[in-house]
Amino acid sequence: MAEQGGVEGSQPVDLSKHPSGIIPTLQNIVSTVNLDCKLELKQIALQARNAEYNPKRFAAVIMRIREPKTTALIFASGKMVCTGAKSEQQSKLAARKYARIIQKLGFAAKFKDFKIQNIVGSCDVKFPIRLEGLAYSHGAFSSYEPELFPGLIYRMKQPKIVLLIFVSGKIVITGAKVRDETYTAFENIYPVLTEFRKVQQWYASQSLCPALYPTFNSYHA
Amino acid sequence: MATFELYRRSTIGMCLTETLDDMVQNGTLSPELAFQVLVQFDKSMTEALETKVKSKVTIKGHLHTYRFCDNVWTFILQDAMFKNEDAQETVGRVKIVACDSKLLTQ
Repeated sequence: MAEQGGVEGSQPVDLSKHPSGIIPTLQNIVSTVNLDCKLELKQIALQARNAEYNPKRFAAVIMRIREPKTTALIFASGKMVCTGAKSEQQSKLAARKYARIIQKLGFAAKFKDFKIQNIVGSCDVKFPIRLEGLAYSHGAFSSYEPELFPGLIYRMKQPKIVLLIFVSGKIVITGAKVRDETYTAFENIYPVLTEFRKVQQWYASQSLCPALYPTFNSYHA
Repeated sequence: MATFELYRRSTIGMCLTETLDDMVQNGTLSPELAFQVLVQFDKSMTEALETKVKSKVTIKGHLHTYRFCDNVWTFILQDAMFKNEDAQETVGRVKIVACDSKLLTQ
């Protein structure tokens, strides 16, 4: 896939840092900041653009900006959550933009205790995985209940990160506060994934192929 | 039954308001009666849109701004295409104000 690693193709992957040759792509960053002033949410909802405020449902103003494409939850206490950014810098930039919007509405908003709370990354190892085998041999860390959720939930202890591993070879890595935890978690799990690589019964599928895809074959004959 | 006053800003509502104003000015109508007519207009518009209008319009455009506050949605669309069964038209910029009629019956 083109987006994987972001640098693949354009420049070589630093194999000392990413021995697998795969760099997980950051998909979502959640950050918090304290604007350190009481806010009048209804006034904000009425004056700001792209805001939703339904106090019966949720006690915060939900606001969105297009660049960086993010969503903020703004609470009356002055605390704010910023979600959706693709990098730590973008998350901070977005949070600053929201703070600026609040300031422009006449509140004495500051920018205290900005903190990245969660980083979600994903990648594709491009081979199928035997989840049952993995769950069995890593029982202490794994939870695999295909009737509840099709992925294996792997709770790594060091770093303390949760990985969702799917049969397809697609991986979701969540729970990191810094991106290196995401990278380390993936490099830790990668050898395990290769160990439980599902061997394709390719001869069987080959014999099935013409039967399954007659039109494909006749097109490409 | 409670009603929304938002149809007073439509062309027909503005015309009615203007006429009522004139009539109050030249003394053919009392202000109280004029007000009653407006309230009846609110009711009739709501009822007519609910029961008499069968046609459907789809609106599709780029969402420039949205807001949800006090149970009212406000949308500003750019290059919006209005379509019904037999006509379509593109509008450069349109503001949509939408209220939830369910709130009236509660």
